[in-house]
Amino acid sequence: MSRRPVGWIDVVVGAACAALVLWLGYLMGSRVRYNWNWSVIPQFFFYYDEAGSRWVPNLIVKGFLMTIKLSVWATLLATPLGVLTALLRIGRNLVGRLLGRTYVELVRNMPPLVLVYIVYYFVSDQLVRALGVETLLLSLGPGMQGFLEGCCAPVTKMPVFASAVFMLAIYEGAYIAEIVRAGVQSIDRGQWEASSALGFTRLQQLRHVIFPQALARTLPPYAGQVISTIKDSAIVSVISIPELTFQGLEIMASTYRTFEIWITITALYFVLTFTCSLGVQRLEAALGARRGY
Amino acid sequence: MKRLTVVCTILAFGLGCALSPAYAKSLREDLAGQSTIEQVLKRGVLRVGMSTFVPWAMNDKKGNLIGFEIDVAKRLAADMGVKVEFVPTKWSGIIPALLTGKFDIIIGGMGITPERNLKVNFSRPYDYTGMSIVANKKLAKGFSRLEDFDKPSVAIAARTGTTAAAAVKKYLPKASLRLFDDESQAVQELLNGRVHALVASAPLPAFKALEYPDRLFMPVKGDFTREPIGFAVVKGDVDTLNFLDNWITVVEAEGWFKERKHYWFETKDWKGLVE
Repeated sequence: MSRRPVGWIDVVVGAACAALVLWLGYLMGSRVRYNWNWSVIPQFFFYYDEAGSRWVPNLIVKGFLMTIKLSVWATLLATPLGVLTALLRIGRNLVGRLLGRTYVELVRNMPPLVLVYIVYYFVSDQLVRALGVETLLLSLGPGMQGFLEGCCAPVTKMPVFASAVFMLAIYEGAYIAEIVRAGVQSIDRGQWEASSALGFTRLQQLRHVIFPQALARTLPPYAGQVISTIKDSAIVSVISIPELTFQGLEIMASTYRTFEIWITITALYFVLTFTCSLGVQRLEAALGARRGY
Repeated sequence: MKRLTVVCTILAFGLGCALSPAYAKSLREDLAGQSTIEQVLKRGVLRVGMSTFVPWAMNDKKGNLIGFEIDVAKRLAADMGVKVEFVPTKWSGIIPALLTGKFDIIIGGMGITPERNLKVNFSRPYDYTGMSIVANKKLAKGFSRLEDFDKPSVAIAARTGTTAAAAVKKYLPKASLRLFDDESQAVQELLNGRVHALVASAPLPAFKALEYPDRLFMPVKGDFTREPIGFAVVKGDVDTLNFLDNWITVVEAEGWFKERKHYWFETKDWKGLVE
């Protein structure tokens, strides 16, 4: 791709964009009557604990970490779920195809908010009670409880945390399934036929011929979906998961510093997702370089 | 054949008579064992559903929950000898969350209303609150009575699912009601001049009028409703209700509620904890 030098039209468009942003900023400042007070924000990141004479993470940092934990666990669960569903959908088994299709269509055609409530009020509750998870968790030793708190949530909050992770995994899984399916089906028929002619079984065809090629095509949209998971995780704030958005809403309810907090929260999400975007870009470049396009 | 039937009936009746006291006893034990209070003692943790609502419950600078209801919940748990765990929940979904067992009890300044009482059981009231109204100086210029706001051209903000929203519907039926999930959004809307007034539980409107004297004012002094506040628990649980009622009686006799209420609602000593 050759780069064109900056022409006059670029300058005009750039200037127009800058003017629009400035004008909106001016409107915000002049029309919206608001007493800005940024001084309350930093203490919600970290505060100095006089008694223990050390810095302690506060609500925003805790929420930030919870968002990361949610996204990581949801992605870890959604990926196998998505791959499995994709395999069912491209498979020869009719029941499998029906199951896969039903799952994908159900989830994709349902507002995620509705899904959150269904999982929270109906599914997780009955499951947790039926399996007796709560008593099991409370009977764990302090070391194990501490470990769980570090990588998931405090033991008493585990059922809610689990339902949030399941909901996100179910939701993202459907999209990942479609991404993987598209990747596999984009591979030329000839590849299947050739490998079949070489006497590969279907599993071997997938493993040695189709997947390696599909992987390169699947990775970029898959990475995009992972970034989406981070943003989508905000939705579980409605079931009181103390993630970034929820903590922001809580602080707002206590301090009434609406704008400062929304801006802070936005910036934090941007930091998370943009870091991932940069990572994906490098990954794509690396893959592209290896395959020579 | 006939004789057999008679014998069977007598046998069945006799068996029933012999078993029923035992059955009733075990049923009673079952009920007592399954009551919320018993479950809480067994677990050692009282899970309290609440929602942020200054000064009933809010986060302080260190991210800890403080407020009138938080004090009440902590005292209740301490008197039961268990730990307390707060489950912050959106106010609009707090009753379904209680019914599906996300927590044991709602201690969040919940007003006792017949509609809510059809779904949950309330303890007897331990506190009373009232609705008051704060208005935008520019939009509601010259409004001095509640009736001034009862016009189709007037927009009133309130929080979803609160008794404030119910009060607006009842006292200002002609005004258009705009609902918000959080108080802070409703206050922002009022400050921005998109609604004429905000209806909320006292003392929030008065506090806001003091905070923004150049933009907000109190068109009607004092509260225009009086609402009893109680603990909410699931239905069909007499033991828990009995315990809560008597706990309230005991603590009330000490004058503890009054003292706490004074601290959170009539002083601003706690302001330094929040900002």
